[in-house]
Amino acid sequence: MVELTSVSGAFTLLSSDMNAWLYLLPGLAIGLIFGAMPGISITMAMAFALPATLYMDFLPAIVFLTAIYTGAGFGGSVPAVLMGIPGTSSAVATTFDGYPMARKGQHSEALGVALASSVIGCLASYVILFVLIVPISGVVLKLGPLEMFAVAVWGMLLLGSLAGTHMSRGLLAGTFGVLLGTVGMNTAGFVRGTMGIPWLLDGVPQIPAMMGLLAASQLIGLINTTYLIADEASRKISFKKILGGVQHTFRYPTIIFRGSLIGVIVGAIPGVGSSISNLLSYSETKRNASDGDTFGQGNPKGVIAAEAANSSSEGGAMATMLALGIPGGGATAILLAAFAMHNIVGGPSFIANNKDIVYAVIFSNFAQAMLLFVVGLGFVYVAGYVVRVPLRFLIPSVLVVSTFGAYAIEGSSAGPITLWVFSVLGWAMVRYGYPVAATVVGLLLGSLLEGNLLRTNQISGGDFIGYGLERPWALLIFALMLGSILLQAISKRRRAKVAALSAAQ
Amino acid sequence: MTSTFSRRTILKASAGGVAFAALASPSILRAQNAYPDRPINVVVPFDTGGYNDRLARAFAPFLQQQLGQPLTIINRGGAGALLGHTFFLQQPDDGYTILCTSAAPYLPLNILTQDASFKLEDFYMVNLPSQDYTLMATSAGSDIKSVQDFISRLKADPSSLSVGLQPASADLVNFHILCSANEIEVDAVRVVTYDGGGPARNAVAGGVVDVGFVGGEGFLPLAEQIRPLLTFDTRKRDNWDGAIVTDVLGADADFVVGSQRGWGLHGSMQTSNPEVFKTLVGAIEAASKDPAAIEALKNQQLATDWYGPEESNQMLARTAKVMEQYLDLLKGN
Amino acid sequence: MSTKSGRKVVWGHLILLAAIVGVVVAYLLDARSVSLRTNNLLLVQPAAFLAIVLAAFVLPGIFPRADAAEEVEATGETWGDLIRVFILIVALAGLAFSLEVIGFDIATFAFMVVALAVCGEKRWWVNLLFSALFTVFLIYGYGTITPFPFPLTIL
Repeated sequence: MVELTSVSGAFTLLSSDMNAWLYLLPGLAIGLIFGAMPGISITMAMAFALPATLYMDFLPAIVFLTAIYTGAGFGGSVPAVLMGIPGTSSAVATTFDGYPMARKGQHSEALGVALASSVIGCLASYVILFVLIVPISGVVLKLGPLEMFAVAVWGMLLLGSLAGTHMSRGLLAGTFGVLLGTVGMNTAGFVRGTMGIPWLLDGVPQIPAMMGLLAASQLIGLINTTYLIADEASRKISFKKILGGVQHTFRYPTIIFRGSLIGVIVGAIPGVGSSISNLLSYSETKRNASDGDTFGQGNPKGVIAAEAANSSSEGGAMATMLALGIPGGGATAILLAAFAMHNIVGGPSFIANNKDIVYAVIFSNFAQAMLLFVVGLGFVYVAGYVVRVPLRFLIPSVLVVSTFGAYAIEGSSAGPITLWVFSVLGWAMVRYGYPVAATVVGLLLGSLLEGNLLRTNQISGGDFIGYGLERPWALLIFALMLGSILLQAISKRRRAKVAALSAAQ
Repeated sequence: MTSTFSRRTILKASAGGVAFAALASPSILRAQNAYPDRPINVVVPFDTGGYNDRLARAFAPFLQQQLGQPLTIINRGGAGALLGHTFFLQQPDDGYTILCTSAAPYLPLNILTQDASFKLEDFYMVNLPSQDYTLMATSAGSDIKSVQDFISRLKADPSSLSVGLQPASADLVNFHILCSANEIEVDAVRVVTYDGGGPARNAVAGGVVDVGFVGGEGFLPLAEQIRPLLTFDTRKRDNWDGAIVTDVLGADADFVVGSQRGWGLHGSMQTSNPEVFKTLVGAIEAASKDPAAIEALKNQQLATDWYGPEESNQMLARTAKVMEQYLDLLKGN
Repeated sequence: MSTKSGRKVVWGHLILLAAIVGVVVAYLLDARSVSLRTNNLLLVQPAAFLAIVLAAFVLPGIFPRADAAEEVEATGETWGDLIRVFILIVALAGLAFSLEVIGFDIATFAFMVVALAVCGEKRWWVNLLFSALFTVFLIYGYGTITPFPFPLTIL
């Protein structure tokens, strides 16, 4: 699967134009800063930089843009950990445990864990990509609605584990989220629940709603608190602790590997990508962890699972783009445009004719991941100072930043208004013991679930089972899902037995 | 790929920088009354990364060369371009806001199915270089070899094939026209609806649906994975194999053209700001004919053909009229 | 907050649940009024029914026994605290709805001043200075990277 002549060609290519490497650092820095600003998407960051690449040669242009891609992918995790703001939908699961860690005074560790698992996840994804790019691309296009539906259902399993103490409230929160996620025009062209508001045709704006539910609602509830971290001594930002977090990450190779695999595969599916992969990885890790009950209260394993998956989705999306010429999302659409600006058109022939370029892109991403580690260390160190800002400044500032971000991503007051509605809703839900995270997951998965259920119904003429039997990949996904649930039940029982035995002794 | 630490790169970059600085230099340096004396906004009623966004960004450097002022791209996506179109009309018609959009089908759709507050005449199309068309295709490995094959199978059993398309689209109308011309019971066909052209095309290429009716230009990158069966145009487009619509439906075939994308202005500008209007139309024409622009856009698979305002507006009006005939289909099931 | 019988009513929770159920029912009715076809209701209708059933299960939590410790409203919270929360919510609403009308600069500055005061900054000059600086910083910061301009009045 790996062609050595192309690999050596890639090295020649990479060493031929040394100024390409000069763009690595600014690219990462731009990406990190843009990504860390709530509401500024990776796509916006890349669209912003695209005109500049017009005057560059091909290789520097691609290195620059992919560096922004990599940087922005991690940048979103920083506000997710420090303030519970998922600046992009791919950092949602990072907030589940990252933010509680920060509140406990483990912000340095949390950032270190997030950075290390992002870097490793990114590296792992390109290693997997390096070997599997051709087979992956062969499968991606064959995935139909039933397969996508299976992925969405898999994501919904997370609801069960997010529910917390009140199961019925958790499930209600999740179902409510799913319903809100289907507002607007559905895939068959029916328009529901828009109340005549034009911008609701595209559904409830997801990112402002998420920011409202997860972040703004928390901030409003913190009004009587003076600092994000109660204990003054813990407020210090320590390089040693960040590195401690990095080191801690290496103790969970299984979680990283599972996260990366989920990330690459889900990331390769056009239109699904990192916003789903981080949820799946988190859910699987929680289900399989012996200390699954402490997830959501600041368990570093949750951060590792989420970050490994969302950063490795980049590799998956790149696989689809390089092998098929199909942009899985906005970011890869911009990359394709940049390729085209230099007379290189993506698609199946592209990979056959330009293996050296493909491998050069992969190698330069190895370098990016390494450098991200260094730049990221500095970045999180500086960003960590946020926890030392008194809340009386932080609450208004973050609310305004979220409002700007909500406006930036929607381009109109629709964003800020959504943010407001959902922060009030979120505040009330938190107050009465409803898990807001379940609503977020429902909101994210609602339209994916509905669209693919509908298409499965349309394509099968209503005969789900007959159609399902013709779809081996869907059966495989469902089988994996069931296997994972069974495995969990068995290991839970075994653990309970061991616990009972040790209690008896 | 040059192998030296290239001076050319630096030269190019600095030349670009100087050009940009000159364009962005304060308006005080220019005659106050000469239009344009400040940057011009380009409204794209779609999100970043789509065809119109790419077209606007690729064409902008050449258009700003003609106008002598930088262009700012403003993405206002959402609600099938309704939000962006409304936003554009709300801006003053002083020539500092222009539009880059898929005029067809979105303007007629906004008006016919979404109760838009505007009429077609509120927009003036300077040029619609991108003229898309519906392509009926199947995956490269499919056992459907031709349109006739498709028709005869559906005639025998309308539920024997699944068809992927977008709701409320020209493609849907064309599918219905083809079916009713061949007496196929259209409601019994397994129609699978997709949220966008991209997902529908992927489903065709992957063999998820048996046949797809989708905009043809977007199929180009997937050319090796599909088999084109029928082009809904009176001539061959983009060298696709397969039939053209007149082969199948006769010389006076009734069909709807696909997306017509390009540059628009406020219709009211013709009377309120005739001088500015003339300048803008002239600049868009000059930039469209600029060989450097043509080459740059061609490389990105973007269109620059110059049809001019008269033809562009006529084409749009014609499309709107045909779409009106199929109002019930477009309004949904 | 409590009735005289053995059970209490958690009013805030009642309002929240009523709002959720109200939205769900209204959404279901709206969807049904658009079309009764499978292509419209396949997911929405069952999900809405499920939500209503789940809401019925939640209902007892709103009327806990007076001695149940679990359902008490957040402890140590005074009316003053609650009023501050409401002022903050109203201020945020003001920001969200007025941004485009009165300009980002004025709306942001006004919100910052109010929110800082509500959140406990008592030195007025610190409040005004920080609000002004942060507003300018944000408008130019976000302004340069968003693909469209922010409507402004003064800046």
